[in-house]
Amino acid sequence: MNKKNSEGSNAINRRNFLKLGAAGAAIGAVAFPAKAKEEIINKINEKTAGDFIKTHDKFPYEINEDYKPHSNKDIMFTGSFWNFHSEDEDVINSGKEFSYKTFMHFEEKKGFDQLSKAMNAGGWALHNTVSPLGSQAISGSGILKWDQYRKKEGEFIPHHDWINESQYQFGNKQEAADAIKRAARLYGADLVGITHRDKRWDYTDFVDAQAIMEGRHEDAVYGWERFPFEPKSVIVMAFEMDYEAIATAPTDIQGAGAGAEYSSMTKTAYQLSIFLKQLGYHAIPCSNDTGLSIPYAIAAGLGEGSRMGNLITYKYGPRVRLAKVYTDFDFTEYDKPIEFGAMEFCKNCMRCADACPGKAISFDKEPSFYPTHENKDNAWYNAQGIKKYYMDAKKCFHTWGEFGTDCGSCMASCPYNKPDFWHHRLVDKITAAMPGPVHDFMREMDELFGYGDVGNLEKIDVFYNPKGRSYNGH
Amino acid sequence: MVFTGTETLFFLLGIITTLFILGLIKYNKQLKFNALSWALLGTGSFLCIFCIAWSVSAVLEGVPRAASMGMVVFGIPSLLMLLLGRRFAIKKSK
Repeated sequence: MNKKNSEGSNAINRRNFLKLGAAGAAIGAVAFPAKAKEEIINKINEKTAGDFIKTHDKFPYEINEDYKPHSNKDIMFTGSFWNFHSEDEDVINSGKEFSYKTFMHFEEKKGFDQLSKAMNAGGWALHNTVSPLGSQAISGSGILKWDQYRKKEGEFIPHHDWINESQYQFGNKQEAADAIKRAARLYGADLVGITHRDKRWDYTDFVDAQAIMEGRHEDAVYGWERFPFEPKSVIVMAFEMDYEAIATAPTDIQGAGAGAEYSSMTKTAYQLSIFLKQLGYHAIPCSNDTGLSIPYAIAAGLGEGSRMGNLITYKYGPRVRLAKVYTDFDFTEYDKPIEFGAMEFCKNCMRCADACPGKAISFDKEPSFYPTHENKDNAWYNAQGIKKYYMDAKKCFHTWGEFGTDCGSCMASCPYNKPDFWHHRLVDKITAAMPGPVHDFMREMDELFGYGDVGNLEKIDVFYNPKGRSYNGH
Repeated sequence: MVFTGTETLFFLLGIITTLFILGLIKYNKQLKFNALSWALLGTGSFLCIFCIAWSVSAVLEGVPRAASMGMVVFGIPSLLMLLLGRRFAIKKSK
């Protein structure tokens, strides 16, 4: 009896503690409205993002006064495949090797066999059919055409690829930005940002592949006078590539991962351009053509620059492909460049530089305004004058020629390239909050924990392994 | 499958956390922890739960090496802290 009394005198005994917990949970579940929960989650997200993700009003990297916008002729693909740099024999040969091996399979090489090549071909198929030159940075290819057709009275054009005479007016700029981003997400983009058109990132001229094929070499290059309107905004979209496919780098399965998103981005950019045209505005969908995608993506707040030269997004790391839509619509809220510590992390990390089979990535501690690699005196392919890490694209392309694939080892090795799991998001936030010396430690830990090893053929088995997947709809 | 691996993991983590808290309350009644014991047992419990969360997540994402490393990096310190905390608590109560 005494014992019972002493138990009862405790403010919270074991039984009461459990009762209290159960009652609290029940009240919480019933009384706590979903909207309030959502608001609290949003608040926490905003708060934590505010601490780790900074925004910039201007382009976040220093640009020298002598910076000149890049010519379309000086892109590696046009330089090689379309002979604009025929003096650079290595580049021409790399292009030939790459093209030749793309259509061959090697049964003795896992990841380059017929199954892998077929996977790769399927990934690229839509892109190669509807906009075959978009990935080669050539404008106006296939459905990425520059036509801004105005429908005639009574004309029936079911694909809606024409500009509506009636211009839709949004209530305010935020509403416009929300609608554009929602449309892009609906059509297949994973990240969307809107930025001002910036002539620094546009190509100074354009390569006319049709003219070259027809032997009209005097018409091989044309200027902005052919662009059908004055663009004011650029909508930039990022497309997440399959984690397990990219992890197989540098095989053809990695190429399939890249190709699948090239196909996806071609489709999405075209659909978004139709959306804008039907709102009554001019729009041109672009792949790698018309302007430099990475600085535009940085300006649109999709991510940061990096040692490997690719965009690093907060959510997917470098494992994205980029598309853009140029438009004259400007009544919209523009995004700002962001910083979450990726470029700072790159200073100490260098995993991509270690992993690169062609040794094309810089080991410099600090970024520089001009290339420092061994081909720096003839680096026509680098857009120079911006403070960044300069990748030797010639060596990179040489490796593409050796493998017959687009490699992707840099992306696969990057510590920011992780699948969407809570513990990686946690590590990302901790990394962003830590100073430079800790980054060395984080890099070592990433390696010790078994992430980012490239050239590991077991990753191909993981890619195909049906365990944990369901293909049958239940 | 109704629940994903991560959803099941977090449900189980809730139960494990409750058990840890109940255990700490129970032993505190018996042994009356001082600040050092609380700090060691609290941090040790947190690290132990984190170790389980990390290692199971690493297995779920298909990187068993990260799971093993998680056990070494988070699991061993958590066990040491729990043992030390328990020893200090028992020593004090004698």
